[in-house]
Parts: sequence; C-alpha cells; structure tokens
Amino acid sequence: MHQILVMAWREMTRLRTRFGGASPVVVFLLLAAVGLLAFTLRDAVALGSGLYRLAVSGDVPPIRDSRFAIVPVDPAQGQALLAQQAVDAWVDGVRVHAREDDRSQFALRALRQALEGLELGRIGMSYANETAFPLRVGINYFPPAPVPGQVAPPPVEEEIIIPSLTPPPAPFTQVLIGMLYIIPITFISIFFTTSFMDEKVNRRLTILLSAPITPFQIIFGKMLPYAVFALGATVVIAYFTGADALLALAIFAPTILFIFAIYLMVPLFYRTFKDTTFIAMLVTTLTTAYVVFPAMFTNTNDLAYISPLTLAVKMYRDEPFGWREYLFPSLPMAAIFGMAMFAGTRLLNEEFLMGYKPITRKIGEAIYLMLARIHPYLSVPLWSLLVIPGVYMAQVVFLAVATNLPLRVMVGAVLVASAVVEEIVKSVGILALAERGVVKSTRDLLLLSFLSALGFLVGEKLLLLVSVSVVMEAPISGALFGAGVFLLIPFAAHFVFTSIVVLLRTKARLAYPLALAAGTVVHFIYNWIVTNGGL
Amino acid sequence: MTPFLAVVKKELWSVIRDRTILIAVLIQLFIASFSSGLLLGVLSFYDPDTIMQSGNLRVRVGLVGPAGSVLEASMRESGLRVVPYATLAEAEAAFYRNGVSAVIVMPQDFGTTTEIKLYLPNSDVVSSLIRMVIQEPLKKYENHLRTQNGIDVRYADLKGKPSTSFEFVYSVLLPMLMFFPAFVAGSMSIDALTEEVENKTMQTLLSAPLTVQGVVGAKIVASVILSTLQCIAWLGLMLLNGIEIRNLGWILVLAVIVSGLTSTAAMLAAVFLKDRERSQFIYSLALLVAAGIGTLLDFSPIKTISRLGIGDPYTTGWNVALFALLLAGLYLVLVRASRRLVG
Repeated sequence: MHQILVMAWREMTRLRTRFGGASPVVVFLLLAAVGLLAFTLRDAVALGSGLYRLAVSGDVPPIRDSRFAIVPVDPAQGQALLAQQAVDAWVDGVRVHAREDDRSQFALRALRQALEGLELGRIGMSYANETAFPLRVGINYFPPAPVPGQVAPPPVEEEIIIPSLTPPPAPFTQVLIGMLYIIPITFISIFFTTSFMDEKVNRRLTILLSAPITPFQIIFGKMLPYAVFALGATVVIAYFTGADALLALAIFAPTILFIFAIYLMVPLFYRTFKDTTFIAMLVTTLTTAYVVFPAMFTNTNDLAYISPLTLAVKMYRDEPFGWREYLFPSLPMAAIFGMAMFAGTRLLNEEFLMGYKPITRKIGEAIYLMLARIHPYLSVPLWSLLVIPGVYMAQVVFLAVATNLPLRVMVGAVLVASAVVEEIVKSVGILALAERGVVKSTRDLLLLSFLSALGFLVGEKLLLLVSVSVVMEAPISGALFGAGVFLLIPFAAHFVFTSIVVLLRTKARLAYPLALAAGTVVHFIYNWIVTNGGL
Repeated sequence: MTPFLAVVKKELWSVIRDRTILIAVLIQLFIASFSSGLLLGVLSFYDPDTIMQSGNLRVRVGLVGPAGSVLEASMRESGLRVVPYATLAEAEAAFYRNGVSAVIVMPQDFGTTTEIKLYLPNSDVVSSLIRMVIQEPLKKYENHLRTQNGIDVRYADLKGKPSTSFEFVYSVLLPMLMFFPAFVAGSMSIDALTEEVENKTMQTLLSAPLTVQGVVGAKIVASVILSTLQCIAWLGLMLLNGIEIRNLGWILVLAVIVSGLTSTAAMLAAVFLKDRERSQFIYSLALLVAAGIGTLLDFSPIKTISRLGIGDPYTTGWNVALFALLLAGLYLVLVRASRRLVG
C-alpha cells in the first residue's frame, strides 16, 4: 500500500512540474470557457443548425431556433423571395407560406415545432391555467394477463399528463447529460497514458523496474491520482446536473475503470506518437458508441441495459432499476478492467516496451507473456474464458455497424465477423505458446484446443445466463441451460473449429490469416445451419 | 524545395509504415455508418410520422365514449384504427383478446377541463410506442378544446415533411466527415513535432539544409495531404450513396483550409509547449472552445459547410475565403513562434 502511495505522489509531482509556469492559466481559462459555453449552448445545439432561411413580415413571435436564419421583409418582398428560392418559408403575420419542393416542406415542419413552443408560451402567459391547458390524460396500465403460480404485480398509480406539456419520450436530453460524464474521463486519460510514455522516452523505466516495487504497484499507483480526479469530476457533474452523487458514482465507476483499462493498453503497445493518437481516438469513438447507442433505446428495449448510460438515463428520469440491471452493464466492464490490469503487470517489462515491431507481432508477444507463467492446461482455457466480455463487446459493435446493410447481408456479415473473432480468441493463445515451442506435439495441441473450446463455452454460457436473466423471461433461460445434452453439440463444434485453425497453422505451416479463414468458413457454415433451424 | 519535400515524404511514409492510420480511417467509416444508419434509425424510431408511415404497424385503439369526437377523427387521420366500445369492461376484454392495443375512455359531458383516461399494456416497449403515436392526436384534441374555451391557437395547421434526415445529413454527417480528418490532422501535427523534440532528433533534422519553419511547414503539409485524401474519399462515398451535395469544389477547399487551421493551431501549441501531453490536452480543449464559439456565430465552418452542401444562395466562395484569411494570419504567427524551437 505504501509503495502505491509513493507512486501516486510521484505522479502528482510529475504533473505539477509539467504544468508549472503559464500553462495552468491557459488550461484554467480554456476549462472556464468550455464550462461557460456548455452553459450557454445547452439549449442552442440542435440538429440542422443554420439550415433554413425564413422571411418574416408583420406581427410574428420572435423565433429563436438555431435552425433558422431570419430575414425581415416587407409583405410585398416575401412572395418574391419565396418564389426565387432565396428563402425556404415566409411567415406573414399568422399566415405561413411555403413552396411545394422538399426543402421548403422540411423548413415548414421545423417551423411547426418552433412555433408550437412559442404559441404554448403565449397561451400559458395570457390565460388561466384551466382554460389554457384544458385536457388532462390519466395514464393507467392494464395488468398483465395472470399466469398461474405467479403473484400479480401491484397496480401502478395513475399518472396524469397534459399532452402539450409532455416531454417527448425520446431520452436524447438525458443521454446528452450522461455523455458529459464521459468527456472528462477521456481527457484525464491523456495524462495517465503520457505518464507511462514519459518513463519510456526518458529511459527511467529500467530504474523503476529494478526498484523493489511490483508492476502492479506501479500501474495502480500511477492510476490512483487520475482515478480520484475522474471520480471527483463525476461528483461535480452530478452536483451541477442535480443528480444523486453516490448513485452517479456507482453507475460510472465501472465505466471509468473500463476507459482506464483501455488507455493502459496504449502506452504498452504504441511505437510512435502517432500510434498513441490513433489508438486513443479509436478507443474514445468505440466506447462512446458502445455507451451512447444502446442508451437511446432506454425503456423501449431491454438490450439498452448493455450500456451503463441507460442507468444514468433512468436516474435522470427518476425511474428505478434493480441490482441485476446494474450488474448487467457493469460486470463486463469491470471484468475487462481486471484483464487489463493483469495484462499490464505481465507486459510492464523493458524488453516488451522498447523496440519497434509490427503491431501484430507485438500483440502475439503480449499474449505469450500473459500465458507463459502458468501451465498451458490452465492458462489456455482461462484465457478463452476471460476474454469473453471483450468478444461480447466486439459483437455488439458489429451488430451496430451491420444494421446499415440490407437484412440478408446483415445476418451473414454479423455471423462471419463473430466467427472470425471467436476463432481468433480461441486459437491465439495456443499459437502464441506453440510459436515459442512451449507445446509441440499434435496430441498437446488437440488437448489445448479442447480446453480452449471448453473455457470459451463456459464463459459464453455464463454471460448468456446473466444477460438472459435480465433481458428475457425465466422460462427461456431454463430451456437454454436446463438440458445438458444440448451443450454437447456446440462444444464439439467449437473444439473442431479451433483444432482446424491450430493444426493448419502449426502442422501445415499455413499463414495465420489463411488458417483462420478455413476455421471461420466451417464455423460460419455451422452457425448458418443452426440459425436456420437445421440442428 | 527538395529538403522540404523530403520531410513531407518522410512523414507520409512513417504513417503508412505504422499502419495505424487505418484505425483513423476505420473510425470515420464506423462513425459515418453508425450515425447514418443507426442514429437516423433511432431518430425515426421516435418520430410518430415515420412509425405510422412504415405501414406494417397497425395500432388499434379502443374508444369508450361519444362517437364522432374530434379526438376520434384526429386519431384516424394519423393512421390509428379506432374501435368503439360501450363500456370499459368490454374494451378491456378486447384488450386481453388482443383485439386492441390500448383503450381511451372519454367522459360524456365536458366542463372547462376535460379528463380522459388512457389504458396501456404493461410493457415498456409497446406502451411507449403507443404514447408516441397518440401524442399528436391528443395535442390536436387539446387545441380543439382550447378553441372551445375561446382561445385562438395560431399556426396550428402547419404540416410540412419530416425533416430529420435532411437536417442530419447536411448539419451533422457532412460537417463531421469533412472536419474529423482535420481534427486528426491537428493531432498528427503535434505528434510529428513533439516526437522529434522529446526524442531529441529535432536538432539533427535542423542540420539538414532546411529552416525550422520549413520543418514545421512540411509536417503540416503532410497532415493536410492525408486529411484531404480522406475528405475526397468521404465525398465520393456520400455521392455513391445518392446524397446530393452542391458546391463540391468549395466544400473540399473549406475542408482543406480547416485542416490547415487545426494543424497550424495544434503546431502552435506544440511549438510553445514542446511536449505531447500538454500540447494535445490544450489543443483538444481549444478545439472544443472554438467549436463552441463557432456555434454561436452565424459564419462558423460547420454552418458554412452545411449551407454550401444544400446550395444556400447566400453562401459562396467568399465565405470560404474568410477562413483562408484566418489561416494565413495564424500561419504567420506560427512562422514567428517556431523560432523558439532553435537553440
């Protein structure tokens, strides 16, 4: 513990010396500007900013929608400008004129939204509440059809709404607020990453590693100050957005760990500074997409729970969620953090960090270093089991990208991509060991393929068990996990695919992409038959 | 000139050798496909017009109350099917037989405020869908009741066409694809310079027959070349996807100028701070601030590129020239500042 604190203190000193002089002033001014702008722009940012031009004449409420550029005109001019396509619509007092073409019609729809809000404001100001908002809608829910043996849930209390004052059901605003939490974390990670890069550039890593301190203590100590900053930022944001700070911390702590985990990989794998930039960008984009996209479906699809942001959206909507909903997004993220910490402790050595190699070789070496310390019979299945959360996240991303494709192609593309990823994770461990001569005989390779498939299957089913219990009803998970024989076929299949890849690579000396392709093709055919109900 | 080109070539070659630039390209492809396919899907998912237009959806709503009301008419108008029932019990029975998805109960007599009841299924997915599609008829009905109360509601009959995808393509997708490479170019410029400084190779580079301004300029040119190539690819992809883009030439010129601006600004940070950490941090913050200020102004690069894309009659090459002027000014500052690197 003491060592960790020493590392943390050293890290703080590094930051202090680096940000001495004039730059803290600049940073402070910039941060203040960002805060101020975020405050001024909180309502102004809209889709379609500056797209439409609007001619206005007569008595029209002041339109303050960033989508419109307003041109005040004489009533006589308006018609002419509209006809020349110089403006997209013309508001003349209470009358609105538009053309028949698409752009004018789009402008009209945007105008409708803007004027509706203004009219509501005017009516609300000038009339008594009951006259201005004369409709109340009491929302009730029919209880679900009773199932024998199950206790009926208590009836939900009636919710009274006024239609024109009801916010839209889309959780966009809450998702945007939730994204606020992610931004400081990615900024803070720049420093965390640089901390390791500095040690490498200044050649101090050798000294550090020969000191009586473990790699774990180094990583954890360096991470500590930034983790505290990130948690602090979360509390500050929660305070300013009126959320419960403790709940916000609970929701975002796994995400913070996850982002730190990935940023830890950057200094371990980078070779040039540009690598760092590109990898960091990839990480930021993918995590943002992974976190933001599912949250858009809050309350319309249970799969939204794969993102912790969904929990934040629920928090801002004052809707409750349970433990299972909390663990569903948080566990994979925490698991990936654990994996990354483990990888970090194994890879933090001079030989690995220095030296320029193609990125694929570097990854191969990294995997070898992670597996080498314990017996292959244990390390290989453990590897296959522990990378499951990563595989699962990758598949979610594939699914997201593939939705752009036509439906038939989409299913195929996702199946192929998933098969590739699964075959990679199952075979790389064995091949990393085989390449360095740890395992040689065909018998050993087959046994390891068997264990790798076993580890993968166990991990996959465990994940499915967790997710199914959140996402779907109990009978389905019973059907999936109840029957023991049911698992034998996929297990045998996984074993066969992995053996194909491993043996083609080691014994037939085929290039890895080719061996992988062969395994993937067989895997894909199997998946295709299964999804079409053949087995 | 030859040493200058040699530095440009060296920068480009190192990017190609590292291959991680592919990541940047993949990211953009990902963002583009992700946002256009998905976010647009999400947007239309929450847009009642699109839900009802997709045609497959037949939402049946049971109605208990007087026939021929305004609410009934506007529900039918927006594509809902209305099935009248005499009592709530009958409607409820129909609900459990899957005859209707939701039930509305209207009172027989009206005072100043009318209270109606909406019964929804106990499933988040279906009930939020119904609440979305029923919102518009309810608002129309509310306006009708306002008129009865003697309130004149203006602008209530505007129609138009759903504008979400139009707004998305020109105000989000086009600027994002044109300016993301510029953002990357700035980061790359910082990397290219601070790597030389931190690895102490800068002095060696300066012993070549090339001024420090030449080195800095060459690195910027290399970054801008890469971002220009990406922009051309994105414009090509968008055109292939059938997106109509006007003023293609000016859009590309603006994209190049903006990536020149970000690279110069980034380089300026690197020249002053000389290390990657602070330069990248301050560059990213400054970019956020610049983008924020830009949204407040009517002539920001984002608005300009959107307007060029839709063929706005008031936006021309002169708007682009404004940014060229800004770039020239910023570059002059950089030329003066880069003397700091010598010695």
